[in-house]
This record gives sequence, C-alpha cells and structure tokens, in this order.
Amino acid sequence: MDLFLDQVFNGIGTGAVYASVALALVIIYRTTGLLNFAQGEMALFSTFVTWWLTDQGLSIWPALLGSMVFSFFAGAAIERVIIRPVEAAKNPLNVVIVTLGLFLALNALCQLIFIKPGQEALQMPLMFPKGDFDLFGLGIQKAIIGRALVLAVECAALFLLLQKTKIGLALRAVASNPESSRLVGINPGNMLMLGWGIAAVLGAIAGTMAASRGTGGFDTSLMQQVLVYAFAAAALGGFDSPLGAVVGGLIVGVARSLTVQYVDFLQGIELVVPLGLIFVVLLFKPNGLFGRNIVERV
Amino acid sequence: MDTKRTPRLRRTLVLLLALVALVAASCSGRSEDTGGGGGSDGGGGGGDGESGAVVDTADCPDTGTAGIEDGTIKLASSFPQSGLTAAFAQISKGYLAYFDKVNADGGVEVAGKKYKIEVVSKDDEYKPATTAQNIESEVGTDGTGAFAVFNVVGTANNVAIRDDLNELCVPNIFAATGSPVWGNTSYPWTIGSTLAPYTVEAKAFADYLKENKPDAKVGMLVQNDDFGKAYEEGFKQQIEGSDITVTQVKTYEAGTDEVTSEVTSLKASGADTFFNGATLLACPNALNAASDQGWDAVTFVSGTCISKTLMGIAGEAADGVFATTNIKDPLNPAFADDPAMKEYNETLAEYGADDVDPENGIVAYGYTQGALLVEILESLDTLDRGSLMNKMYDLKDMTGGLLLDGVEVNTSPDDRFLAEDVQMIQYNAANKYFENVGDVLDFEGTTPDITPEDLIES
Repeated sequence: MDLFLDQVFNGIGTGAVYASVALALVIIYRTTGLLNFAQGEMALFSTFVTWWLTDQGLSIWPALLGSMVFSFFAGAAIERVIIRPVEAAKNPLNVVIVTLGLFLALNALCQLIFIKPGQEALQMPLMFPKGDFDLFGLGIQKAIIGRALVLAVECAALFLLLQKTKIGLALRAVASNPESSRLVGINPGNMLMLGWGIAAVLGAIAGTMAASRGTGGFDTSLMQQVLVYAFAAAALGGFDSPLGAVVGGLIVGVARSLTVQYVDFLQGIELVVPLGLIFVVLLFKPNGLFGRNIVERV
Repeated sequence: MDTKRTPRLRRTLVLLLALVALVAASCSGRSEDTGGGGGSDGGGGGGDGESGAVVDTADCPDTGTAGIEDGTIKLASSFPQSGLTAAFAQISKGYLAYFDKVNADGGVEVAGKKYKIEVVSKDDEYKPATTAQNIESEVGTDGTGAFAVFNVVGTANNVAIRDDLNELCVPNIFAATGSPVWGNTSYPWTIGSTLAPYTVEAKAFADYLKENKPDAKVGMLVQNDDFGKAYEEGFKQQIEGSDITVTQVKTYEAGTDEVTSEVTSLKASGADTFFNGATLLACPNALNAASDQGWDAVTFVSGTCISKTLMGIAGEAADGVFATTNIKDPLNPAFADDPAMKEYNETLAEYGADDVDPENGIVAYGYTQGALLVEILESLDTLDRGSLMNKMYDLKDMTGGLLLDGVEVNTSPDDRFLAEDVQMIQYNAANKYFENVGDVLDFEGTTPDITPEDLIES
C-alpha cells in the first residue's frame, strides 16, 4: 500500500508539471481556438531566462517572477509579430505550421544563447526544499506538495481572471465571437495578445518547475518530454477546460507512475498509456472529460 | 449537435499525432555513447600483421592511398556540433589539439616520410542519416575522398556508415562508442576506440560485488535499447553461479530523464545494490531520486555518466558511487605531476581551441585517440588503407595518451576490442572528482566471452 501511495505521489509530482503546460495550451485554445505547438519551446525559453537570472545572482523565486514578466511581453510580441500576420489568411493550418517552425527555432535559439560548448546540461536551483513533509504519518516530499500548491494558485488566479474580471469577460467574448465583441467595443487583437501573454507566463512557471524537479538538471529537450504528456492531459480533460487540463495532467502523471510500477510489458514505452487513455475518452466523450459541446444553430 | 468545432478538433488530433511522431523521432536521437571519458588504448609496437591479415584488399577498388596528397593525410569525421548532444564535439577538440601539435613539429613520420594530419568534420546532430550523408560527401561515393574515417560519435551513426565503408574498403577507425558491436567480424573495416565495451563495465561491477558483497541484491535501471541490453545481459551473465541476484530491471525510454517512479520501484524490489545504467540527465536524476527516497544502496553508474557536468548536477547524491574508466581524469589532483597529464595540459594550453575545457573527461578521451592514431601511423611500413586496417588488428601492449598506467591496448584478428582493461573509480562529492580504487583490472581479450553473441554480431 505504501508503495502504491509512493507511486501516486510520484505521479502527482510529475502530473503537476504536465498540468501546468496543459493549462497554458488550454488558455491559448480558449482565447484563440488554436493549438500552439510552440508552447513547450516558449516555456523552454522562459526556463532558460529564469536560469539566466539565477546565474546573475538572483534567487529562484525572484528570478521566476522576472522570467514571468519577460514571458508575458515576449508571448504577446510573438502573437503580434509572428502569429497575427499569418492568421489573416483565415486558414488555421497556416498558424499551426508557423507554431511548428517556432518550436524548432526557439529550441535552437536556447542552445545557441545559453549553452556553452561542451556543456551537456544546466542546473536550475531548486524551488522547494528537499525532504519529506509529514502528513498524517505519510511522508510526502515537500517538492511534490510545493508543485501541487503552485498549480492550485495558478488555477485560482486563472479562474478569478477569466470569471470575475472585465478583462476575463472580454477574453471569453473574443474567443466565443470576435465580430460581436468588436461591436461592443472590445479590441480582439489586444485580447489575443493578452491570451498569448498569459499562456507564456504559465509556460514560464511550468518550465521552471519542470527544470527544478529532482536535481534541477535540464537541457533543451526538457519540454519535448513534457509537451507530449501535456497534450495528452489537455486532450483528456478537454481542450477548452482549465479544470480539465489540471485533472488530465494529474491523471496522466499518476497513470504513468503506476504503469512503471505495475505493468511490466509496457516498460520503457509508458507513453502508450496516456495515448490509450485519450483514445478511450475521446471515443465516448469527443470533447474530453470536461470539454463542453458547443451547440450552434444551423 | 452539429458542432462547428468538431472538425477542427479532429484536425488538431491528427496534428497531435503528427507531433507525437515528431517528438518521438527527435528524442530517439538521444542515447548513450561517450558521456564521460573512458577508455583509450596504447599505440605502439607490434609487427606489421602481414600474416593472418584481417582485411583482404584483393577485392577492393584501387584507392588504397586516396586521401593522401601533398604530404597531408586527410581524415573525415562526423559528430554532433549543434543541438542537444553538441557537448560531444568536445572530443574533437582533444584530438585536434594533439594533431596540431604533431603538425607543428613537422608531422607524423610514416615509412620515412613526414605527413601532416588534417581532419575534415561535419555536424550530424547525432542523426544517423545525416552521418551517412556527411561521410559520403567526405569520402566520396567511389572512396577517393578522405583516407580514413576517424572517431565518428554514436553507435547508430557508425552502424549507418559501416556497410558503405566496408564496400569501399575505407577504414572507419576509433568509432566513439562503447558498443560491443565493433567486434562484428563481418565489418572488418570498422573498429572501435579505447572506450571499454559496456559489457566490460558490467563485468567489473559484477567482480567487485563478488568480492565485497557476495549476496548482493541488485536493481538495474537501463535504457530500452541495445545500450541497456549490453548492461543487463552482460551483468546477468557475469553473476551466474554466484549468490548475487537481480531483483528487478527497469528500462526507461531513451530521450526521457524522468525516472523517479522507476527508482521507487527498484527500491521496493528489495535491492540493496543499484546498477544505474542510465545516461545523460536520467543518470543524475536517478541518483537524486534514490537519495531523496532514502535508498541506501551500493551504486554503480555507467561510464557514460562520469562527466563533470552530470556528476556535478547529482552533487551529494552521487557521493560514493562507483564507475569504471581507463583514462586519467584531468580533475584528479593525483595525476597533477603525471608526465602524460602535464603533456596533455601543455598541449591543450598551446594548441587547444578557445572553447575547449581541458577538465572535461571526453576531451582527455579525444586527445588519447589522437595520440594513439599517431603512434599507429608511425608504426606502419607502408601508408595505405589496407596496411592501416590490418595494423588495427595487430596492436601489442600499446600505451599512450592519457591511458591509465597498466592499461594496455592489444588487438588481434580474434580480439577486436582495443582497451578492455579498466579501473574502478569512486566519486567524492566534496572534492568533485572520481578517485581511483584498487588496481587496474586485466580484462584483456575477454570481451567476446563476456558479451552475448547477438550483441556483437549485430
């Protein structure tokens, strides 16, 4: 039983990272109707910025804050400068191809700017102290609790922003009907930029958390490993549901750990599990566990 | 419920699958090979190998001396110089510094004539298909380009070029990986370097346990490919008939570094010994997970993990772990006054590139390959491809470069592995380097016996 719980907590620890990236994917999907394949590599770049700030002498949390601010403006700038011109063509595939290009470009850029020749990897200072936290006699690593808390704060902040503020209302309005929202005085362009900015901030948090797991060692493949699981999480939860992204991320993380422990014949190919889960869920709920069916009058 | 979004969702799912394929493809490039430093061989004596020659040049095209022009021997190489595994490029900085020194002193003397050595290399980002293209363009489709292919990094990368080079009779020497596959007799034109075969590492660990922990219960973490298989099968073969048992083997996907759950599972299997065959970041992550979970086990790490960066990332969690090597570690002050180490440091200081880190074990490895090649070339009676290749199978008691004292390179037509002698080393986290433990282990000529045949003949 202890072993089972250990693996569940391992899964929550990684699942929190998947969920964070999935949240960012969902935010962009909600505000723009797009899947951003460059999300992982944007987060990677932000992660390197966090690392660079710590290398300049900042401690990890202020560095993360700095990186979040940078990411917000960089994310908005990417939307304005790179995405919007191709979006005008009205074919969503164009944008998808551009995000794939961004994916490759940002990865190469990180390698070029931040990694010195001969360096296999960099090391991020840890965000959370080492050691166990005693929860009713159960020892849980502090880092796992820390990551779950960060995720909870992210969710709460997003909920407040989207549901309780005017800006959030405007964001949702643009996503649901750009033409009408323009009529009521909302500038859709600004809202799209804002959406990308917010997603980039979430990416900065997710990337930094991903890097500072375990040893803090990371390299430019950091987010490629995470992104597939994050997509799985978002697909599982429903691409338009932040709550779904979180639940999906945790399910995928826990499913992976339990597979490692209990399913021998899937050793080394645990990726099959989230993909299998997606298949089954989409078979019965095409919009994901928490996705809404969008009904429109014909 | 006629939905407007459904077609888009469907389309995005197709793209999602495409992305998965893309990422899987880009990740699978990550693998073992040459992480930390490792073997080397000695150059030196030995006859000419006329009798019992391994390579028969009778069917070869008439290109035996191609690539030697104007007193320059042209070598071709291919290795990652950008992307995730760009760190491997440091190997070349080691041998280039050595060749530059030799060239500055007039060159290498072969059969009474002096030649300069030139290496032309291209970036393959660790992708075998690119390696094949690079080598084809450097060697030429008719084999009239470079004289020989030297120190190509990566197992799959060398496998991708060995058929063509076999056909063209172009030597592919010092393949920079510890795979036992370089002993495959069907490919006499390809031979490995002084990195000890992975199965030799496994034997060293097994022998250590037999002596110090005869009832060890071992949990193994290995990559899910031939690299991992060499450790797993090699180790299991070595413990047959002893009281050592393997409680569990966990494999992880090449390209991931998330191995916490695997370590939890190994610990729970009741193992008191941890064979950490992981490479790149998975290796320090596994050490860290073991330490976080309070798993107090005798731990071995792969020779691909002993680099300054990876061990530094593991930090305290790596204290006391064992590994093997056959070259002198530039970080270890015990070698500070060693003549070979002094020469190494002087050479790197004078001829090294601006971005070289002489403390990096793989630079020392590259330097050693350069030193040995020069020694081998100097021992040739005639300079042509066939002679060089036959000489590679007739090396006797060679030492050189930064090979540990006591490690000797011996090859023969039946023993195609250059350096099989290794020494155990143990990491000291406070000092941040490995200390050498015990004597050099003499495993000369044992590789074919300790390696499952399918791992060699593949």
